[in-house]
Amino acid sequence: MKKNKVMMVTFLVPAILSYLLVFLYPTMRTTFMSLFYVENITDSVLKWRWVGLGNFKTLADSTLFMQALKNISLIWLWGGVGVFLLSMLFAVILTSGVKGKSFYRSIIYLPNVVSAVAMGTMWMQYVYNPKFGLFKKVFEFLGLKKLAEVQWTAPEMLFAALVIAYSFGMVGYFMLIFMAGIERIPPDYYEAATMEGASVVKKFFSITLPLLKDVIRTNIVLWSISAVGFFIWSQIFSPLNPEPSTVTPMVYMYQLVFGNNMVVTDRNVGAGAAVGVILTVIVVVLFAITTIVFRDDKIEY
Amino acid sequence: MAQKVKYKEIKYKEKTTWKKEAVLLPGYLVVSLWCLFTFLVIGWIILASFSTTKEIFSDTMFATGLHPENYVKALFTHNVSKYFMNSLIYTLIACTGIVCVAAPAAYVLARFVFRGNKLLQSLFIAALGIPAIMIIMPLFSVITSMRLTNSRMVLILLYICINVPFTIFFLITFFKTLPYDFEEAAAIDGCGPMKTFWVIMLPLAQPGIITVTIFNFITVWNEYFMALIFANKTELRPVAVGLYSMVQSMRYTGDWAGMFAAVVIVFLPTFILYLFLSEKVIAGVTGGAIKG
Repeated sequence: MKKNKVMMVTFLVPAILSYLLVFLYPTMRTTFMSLFYVENITDSVLKWRWVGLGNFKTLADSTLFMQALKNISLIWLWGGVGVFLLSMLFAVILTSGVKGKSFYRSIIYLPNVVSAVAMGTMWMQYVYNPKFGLFKKVFEFLGLKKLAEVQWTAPEMLFAALVIAYSFGMVGYFMLIFMAGIERIPPDYYEAATMEGASVVKKFFSITLPLLKDVIRTNIVLWSISAVGFFIWSQIFSPLNPEPSTVTPMVYMYQLVFGNNMVVTDRNVGAGAAVGVILTVIVVVLFAITTIVFRDDKIEY
Repeated sequence: MAQKVKYKEIKYKEKTTWKKEAVLLPGYLVVSLWCLFTFLVIGWIILASFSTTKEIFSDTMFATGLHPENYVKALFTHNVSKYFMNSLIYTLIACTGIVCVAAPAAYVLARFVFRGNKLLQSLFIAALGIPAIMIIMPLFSVITSMRLTNSRMVLILLYICINVPFTIFFLITFFKTLPYDFEEAAAIDGCGPMKTFWVIMLPLAQPGIITVTIFNFITVWNEYFMALIFANKTELRPVAVGLYSMVQSMRYTGDWAGMFAAVVIVFLPTFILYLFLSEKVIAGVTGGAIKG
């Protein structure tokens, strides 16, 4: 038994240490820092100036930050609706007995294994290109003149373009999780329904959807976490001086703390920390809401 | 009972008839279109990377034949070969490190009852929801005040620590499925618990470790934010950050063919890995998410 204890401690210590170092200590320090005015990120705690909730007030008064919050809410909502509908549709199609299921599944998931910088560059420089872009070519081919003339990378369309490109890749990820959920449902349920003469639509709403409740909940939480951390795609779609329509809280924080351009002039690391606290609170609140809404206990088969 | 089985068999055979396939036709159409779009985008990028900028803009790709020099230019003039080696070093060392830290911890958490076990597991799961922004500022200030920015070791260490919680979470479910007989037999034969883990349990967990490592490989290879802040120097940049800075500079010099060649180089390693191991990668995603 004693031997076991020694082993358990030696095995757990590195993992716990890494956790303290990279998660627990930084999270606590950031939370603490959000209540202070900190001019330079390397300033020691002694130089911090207590401002209470002042940083949060500064953020609430900043139009750019409020725009950033609005942007991620819209990404969360519109991107979320699109991604969930499409990924659910694909998951249902691919689990309905189509041939070549694993081929389709692999291709649809593919964008997730490629560097987001590469994916983003493909969209921005090729698909949306006003001269030789794929969208232009396809819409011209289909005779949709109006759509072919859309300037996707112009400031007024940039946000929509960003959401579409980002969501395109995420569909595969959520589809995989939905598929795994659907495949756990015992096939007898569907067989019984088919024998009773239920239609495909009826089977989806009466069997699949209710039994996927906890999977949907997991996906909402995962989607929220990814929306909150939205960063690279903004950078690719609007490098140098960020276009306000693509600024997310992460980008705002980056400019505030590490940036060197004109968008955010007043440097205050404490406010950057406050952005972090706000985002974490958003994740926790969304998590709590989904837990309450989808309260149903775990389904056992 | 026997009749029921028979009925099932007949029904199963019926499934492959034309009628059934016809019902599925709209479904085939939708997923095929989506896949076609993916192919078009990637295919065009690959073709364009062998062409010239002038040809890309005038829609006359390959009028002057193949141009592999785009790749030579991207690799050597624009340092992609350097970024590539950096990424390889970071990814290989980090992936090994992650398993060395996470596997023993996951083993203990999965198979031993002790006070605080549940708490530790919830702590590791909670880490999956902490946004990067919450940890980046203190890490930066600590690392800067120790004058350790722009060091390979620090970035690798960060990659290890950040990916440990997910890996533990994934491997716990895996270790739980292994039978207990092996440990009991090893204990009776006088094999110490540490040795039991390294010699018996770890090899048994190999499939799970491979799955999670492939997943970690893709994550670390594509990582952008940490590298942007901690390794933003030509000699240290991994491919994601390198490609980003290159795309920006190429937009000014107007070298689109070179830019697409760079995109292909960055995209290739994970793509090839995925081509051979897509089932494993997919198992990594669903294994991680479905239990949460």
